[in-house]
Amino acid sequence: MNLFRFLLRRLAFAVFVLFCVLTLTFVLSHLIPGDVIQAWLGKEAEQFPNVAKLYAAKYHLNDPIYVQYFYYVTGMLQGNLGISPSRGFVPVTSVIEQTLPLTLQIVFLAFVLCVVLGLLLGILAARYHDTPIDTLIRIFYLGSYSSPPYFIGIVILVIASLYLRILPTGGAYNPLAVSPSPSITGFPILDALIQGNFAFAENASIHLILPALTLAIVTFGVITRVARSSLLDVMKTDYIRTARSKGLDEGSVFYRHGLPNAAISLITISSLVMTFLLTGAVFVEYLFSYPGMGHYAYTALQGSDYPGIMATVFVFAAIIITTNLVADILYAWADPEIRLG
Amino acid sequence: MDSQPDEGDARRGAGARVRDTLGLMTSNKESIIGFSIIMVFLVTAVVMEASALLNVQVTPYPANPLPNQASAILLPPSLAHPFGTDNLGRDVFSRILVATPYDFMIGFLVVGTAVIIGGLLGGLAGLRGGLLDEFLMRFTDIFFALPVLLIAMVIGAILGGGILNMSVALMITWWPPYARLARGESLKVAHQNYIEAARLSGQKAHRILIRHVLPNISGTMLIYATLDIGTVILVYSGLTFLGLGNKPPAPDWGQMVAAYNGWLLTDPWLAIIPGLVISMGVIGFSLLGDGVKDTLGIR
Repeated sequence: MNLFRFLLRRLAFAVFVLFCVLTLTFVLSHLIPGDVIQAWLGKEAEQFPNVAKLYAAKYHLNDPIYVQYFYYVTGMLQGNLGISPSRGFVPVTSVIEQTLPLTLQIVFLAFVLCVVLGLLLGILAARYHDTPIDTLIRIFYLGSYSSPPYFIGIVILVIASLYLRILPTGGAYNPLAVSPSPSITGFPILDALIQGNFAFAENASIHLILPALTLAIVTFGVITRVARSSLLDVMKTDYIRTARSKGLDEGSVFYRHGLPNAAISLITISSLVMTFLLTGAVFVEYLFSYPGMGHYAYTALQGSDYPGIMATVFVFAAIIITTNLVADILYAWADPEIRLG
Repeated sequence: MDSQPDEGDARRGAGARVRDTLGLMTSNKESIIGFSIIMVFLVTAVVMEASALLNVQVTPYPANPLPNQASAILLPPSLAHPFGTDNLGRDVFSRILVATPYDFMIGFLVVGTAVIIGGLLGGLAGLRGGLLDEFLMRFTDIFFALPVLLIAMVIGAILGGGILNMSVALMITWWPPYARLARGESLKVAHQNYIEAARLSGQKAHRILIRHVLPNISGTMLIYATLDIGTVILVYSGLTFLGLGNKPPAPDWGQMVAAYNGWLLTDPWLAIIPGLVISMGVIGFSLLGDGVKDTLGIR
């Protein structure tokens, strides 16, 4: 019962925060200097006053601001995010439908890579604490999480394109060699696998490797750092001393007793990891010309495509807030003391 | 952290505090290296800012040379041009030096504002407790959930880029961790005898907050703040990479990486060197942070 109330409260709060983000983007979009119509349709709008009038009527631009807010929120709830000038005036929703799955593919692979790499190095560093292995790992993770994602991306790009020409450095697949399957789930690789188009699945997967690797290298340090320090903390507790005094060897004390106890602290950083991955995607997708949502955010920013920017920020914020919610629930499930809070 | 704030702390001389802080920052190998890196950057920033104000050129070459002053284009690194020259014949080393004050200034500015906003909100929440505490902390939670870089991107897109708008954008989103930290610290001191005494002697809440609570929680806040400057520099460099920083031709580290990205396959050092400089600056703060936390036993 207590847990159920906790979940309900967290869910309500997540929805409320999302609503705040929505309001913030609305308020900001009304701070656009100058004529909104011109800002959205471009300079050519002046030559077509009729189009501008139609546009103003369609988007209720002449109504009072609270009426506009009402239309904005109800439109959002119905999935109407406006039209995207930088993509030739197609609905933002359809751009997101195409780009979001691509970004989620990268983020998923990057997440798996950085959890594996982060945990492995964190465990190694704690197991061989104060040895050269530990020092080396600390240098590696400090350097990686202190570097901007685009810097890591550029280094990988240079290495890959000058010295290691096996992996492709741009695009989501090679359109000259393979063609995508019709969409079922929206995720191109998954669709191709379902329909037996293995050539496309393989080609698209190879294109994922470098961008996902870049994101993973930028992010794994957060995990390594927390895994290492919480393992070192756990190994100092009475519980571990008891395990040692029972005559267990150090290896099994570490892996059987230490590791499971240190795992809880990793849940708390999962939303930080997601924030790193999504904001990093903006830079990485641009560098590797990967046509996902990060790339869309970048081009929308360069092209003053306000609906596009608003929508990408809203969707990214929604993903991060959802991750927060899931992390809270996992945390409450793993550590009963928190449930009361 | 488990260090109890003691009453005498606020009243000790400034000299002793500076000695304590310096001692903390040079307490182990990591923090010494980090501290030295930061000092190199800081001295560069101060010298560059002073020379800009006095209109004296201290860099080996002008950062934005007139066409007749420019060197040969795309020279590789050499003794005359340690980081080479770019596509317009500008010395990359000089441009990196000139950009230093911007990146550091925004770091101090954003973190400084975050300490003030967070300290006041969190300090008040911890001191008063009850409904006000609940309200202020839920308010903080909302801002906590906002993705910093994305909000700054929206503000940059709408109000335009530039160092001023970007500082404002980061200030709006940077304070929540400080509010949580200040609340936790102020909860610890809220029930100490001297606070009770001040309350019983009829002092107003804002006076207790400013005179008694804030001086006692400032130590922890300042340590956290110092270490946070690197993160601000990292995020700001990302924004300049997206074209939201200084207006060209004024240089920014991130903007240089973006601008030189086009020569990646023929002259890779152009983009790699400014990127490396950003990493070095941030690594300085990360090392100092790890070292200080180790000494204090904070995880």
